[in-house]
Amino acid sequence: MSTAAIGQAYNYKVVRQFIVATIVWGVVGMAMGVWIASQLVWPEMNLDLPWTTFGRLRPLHTSLVIFGFAGSAQFAASYYAVQRTCQVRLYSDTLAAFTFWGWQSVIVIMLITLPLGYTTTKEYAEIEFTGAVWMTVVWVAYAIVFFTTVVQRKTKHIYVGNWFFGAFIVVIAMLHVVNHLSIPVDWFKSYPVYSGATDAMVQWWYGHNAVGFFLTTGFLGMMYYFVPKQVGRPVYSYRLSIVHFWALITLYIWAGPHHLHYTALPDWAQSLGMAMSLILLAPSWGGMINGMMTLSGAWHKLRTDPILRFLVLSLAFYGMSTFEGPMMAIKTVNALSHYTDWTIGHVHAGALGWVAMITFGAVYHMVPKVFGREQMHSIGLINAHFWLATIGTVLYIASMWVNGITQGLMWRAINDDGTLTYSFVEALQASHPGYVVRFTGGVFFLSGMLLMAYNTWRTVHVADVAMAEREAQIA
Amino acid sequence: MFEVLLNVMAVLGLWLGVEYCLKRETAQSLEDASLIPFADDPEVARRVELATGKTVKAVAPEEARPGWGNLKI
Repeated sequence: MSTAAIGQAYNYKVVRQFIVATIVWGVVGMAMGVWIASQLVWPEMNLDLPWTTFGRLRPLHTSLVIFGFAGSAQFAASYYAVQRTCQVRLYSDTLAAFTFWGWQSVIVIMLITLPLGYTTTKEYAEIEFTGAVWMTVVWVAYAIVFFTTVVQRKTKHIYVGNWFFGAFIVVIAMLHVVNHLSIPVDWFKSYPVYSGATDAMVQWWYGHNAVGFFLTTGFLGMMYYFVPKQVGRPVYSYRLSIVHFWALITLYIWAGPHHLHYTALPDWAQSLGMAMSLILLAPSWGGMINGMMTLSGAWHKLRTDPILRFLVLSLAFYGMSTFEGPMMAIKTVNALSHYTDWTIGHVHAGALGWVAMITFGAVYHMVPKVFGREQMHSIGLINAHFWLATIGTVLYIASMWVNGITQGLMWRAINDDGTLTYSFVEALQASHPGYVVRFTGGVFFLSGMLLMAYNTWRTVHVADVAMAEREAQIA
Repeated sequence: MFEVLLNVMAVLGLWLGVEYCLKRETAQSLEDASLIPFADDPEVARRVELATGKTVKAVAPEEARPGWGNLKI
């Protein structure tokens, strides 16, 4: 059966739109990241303008890559996978189109308001009250489209990938609403209903689970669909995937306090966060092993399939960063790592290595299918993208490890008389080479993203979906 | 000691929950579920069958119904 004929049964238009949005926001968001990385190497890159200072562009970078790039990727992947695993068209083309335009308007709101300085100041939740309310409306529409499609399914069983997508949708709604509970004083300014340590705890309950559910659970749904599809083998253990699901969603929600070690948060809450973070290693690695072992008997495909290479390397980075995370949550390790560049390296091991790489694999898998082509325009360019992304990620995280440990050791070094051995500026000067390497890594990664944009444009440009569909009908 | 008891109860709760979810599932039903990603495309399903020796119950998807929503009321 041709992909064009399948395209008539499923709503591929919204998937195509979200794929294009993923690539556009990926380029813009990662370029923003490279720009702010350059500001830490050459401070004059701030341009002496309030709108382009690090403090305003950094939240814009995180918002664009998390909600613009990763968010659009998950919309695309979940809409694609839920239709194909439920064997039914998405519920309501109109509502699906609303989620696309609504979500893009949310990203544009971020793009305009954050450089202007409108911010809640809460990390990954900087969008001000009015935008946050609009975001909730769009998210509820997404939930209606997704879950109604699942309810209408033709298959008896709800495939495990859809459980992960579903948990991602439900939990993100809960986190977003609770963390954004605030009293607006005008259209662009609000104050949270929480205060003090409670506000911090709510924020990091949200912040950690933004990673846990926005950047992990939805992408695990993606993994459970695209890895088996690309390998051409069913998932290694379906039973393990169910255990993985329940264990992950049971444990992740408790780990937030590890972001607040050695703060005013009660000590028992810090220890609870540490313990739950350590336990979290088990389901994380269970899922990673399940994904990797899906390649049993098909490892040879890695030699010739760069899309599969992206998917497998993303799992390797997922395993690495989900080992590093629990280690960093141990209070004695955190005493060294917290507030240093090690944290930035850790989050990018997950963001570049896991989130972006699995997105690249999934997008390269979907583009030919939803645009009615046999394959991507150039397999060589996918291969080049793979190596640029890999080198970029390794340069990034290695430089941040070195910087982080250097900073941690320099900050805690004490002379015999109890005074600090190094000033903060000396630690900053020691970090400069690492910032240059990190910037270089970012340039590598962004170059790969540009190759992907070009490759997709060439694939889409020559695609004639209408003709492919007509031919499929004649056949 | 109380904390240890709570932790053991949490693990036990998770185990019982997962077992409850799986109690109606047989090895065959789980295998069928794992093959769902290939079940809407008979051509791909044939390739998977050849590679794994498993049977994929593949059917081509139906055409969508016209109208605002795709819901049968």
